[in-house]
Amino acid sequence: MGQMNAYGGEKSSEGFRRQWDTAAYVQKARDREQQLKLDEENEERRHKGLKPRPAKNTAPKEPRELLEARKDAVRLDKMVGKSQIVQASSAAAGQPGFYCKECDITVKDSLSYLDHINGKKHQRILNRIMKVQVETVDDVIAKLASLRAIKRRQMDKPDYDFYEQVKLQQQLDAEKKLKRKEAKKKQREAKKSVVASDQPDEMAAMLGFSSFGSSKK
Amino acid sequence: MANRTSSTAQSVHGTDPQFLIETTFRQRIYDSLYWKDQCFGLTVTGVMEKAAALTSLGGCYGASRKPTDFLCLLLKLLQLQPTRPMLHELINQHDFKYMRALALLYFRLTESSVDIYQTLEPLYQDFSKLRMRCDGGEFEIVRMDEFVDTLLREKQACFVTLPVLTRRMMLEDTGQLAPRISPLDEDSDSE
Repeated sequence: MGQMNAYGGEKSSEGFRRQWDTAAYVQKARDREQQLKLDEENEERRHKGLKPRPAKNTAPKEPRELLEARKDAVRLDKMVGKSQIVQASSAAAGQPGFYCKECDITVKDSLSYLDHINGKKHQRILNRIMKVQVETVDDVIAKLASLRAIKRRQMDKPDYDFYEQVKLQQQLDAEKKLKRKEAKKKQREAKKSVVASDQPDEMAAMLGFSSFGSSKK
Repeated sequence: MANRTSSTAQSVHGTDPQFLIETTFRQRIYDSLYWKDQCFGLTVTGVMEKAAALTSLGGCYGASRKPTDFLCLLLKLLQLQPTRPMLHELINQHDFKYMRALALLYFRLTESSVDIYQTLEPLYQDFSKLRMRCDGGEFEIVRMDEFVDTLLREKQACFVTLPVLTRRMMLEDTGQLAPRISPLDEDSDSE
């Protein structure tokens, strides 16, 4: 048992005084000094007409993924002949042209759009660095084997039967329709449940009642 | 960034490997749809996949000097710089002739004269037909051995200027290559 203070609690070795995390504040002071130096330097550069030097980012860099080829095709003609209601969640989204959701940008030209999605900014948002994976001979050998297998499979296919193909296509179309219906149903149900769960909490908190209409039956 | 040579690549014939294709044609490739759409982010295996789907050779055709997919993939290979064992795999396979032609052209552009003669000459026996897209956009048939002959004798193939190849006679005189025994001679001897 240590010494007792006036309130009946134990006296601590650090005392009753406020303590500060010295190391953190030293770091803060250093950062501020560096920033001041940088600002001075950038002022000089501005006078000389040079671009300002950016501040050093001391945060630990997150590892980013390697560049990969696109798996889904970029269908530039996706919207040809289609009408769309402009909901304009942002100024850029409502514009005609190719809209990039990740960067919130609309590009008017297809080649420029491809340049954008191949570019550094966009890839950074997708958490990618601009280098591809370096491969070995074994990868090449494996790939050759798989390409051969695909080719053989295609060559071993039976002769083209028109009526069979028509049946197959009809089946596939029916399946697609079903899938789409189910997906829409799910979306509708999800929306309903979100709306239903939101209202009672907010209303109850703010107004003191959770829904309109009396509670009397 | 998509148009930069791989940082691990070494210089070829004293320059950046991509410079083996002339600036004009290189720029046409960078501006083409196939390059931007299909050739972005490809690795060597990705190039192989596209090469397996190729249907013709060629350079830049038509009034607008449109580059063929073949040429785009060649530039991609130059960017990636596959190793020699990889190239040998691609050249020695028999299933995909356009992949083979692509690897041969790449080999001719980047390797030393001795290696070129040793690798390309056996392919004089490959008689497969290849489609070549000509200047005006029409197609022409070229056989693999004709293509190899173009690579060994001509100054240009598929709009790509070929680096200078030391003459076979010189290499034989210095003892780096054995004199060439044509398969035709062998046949006539056996009779």
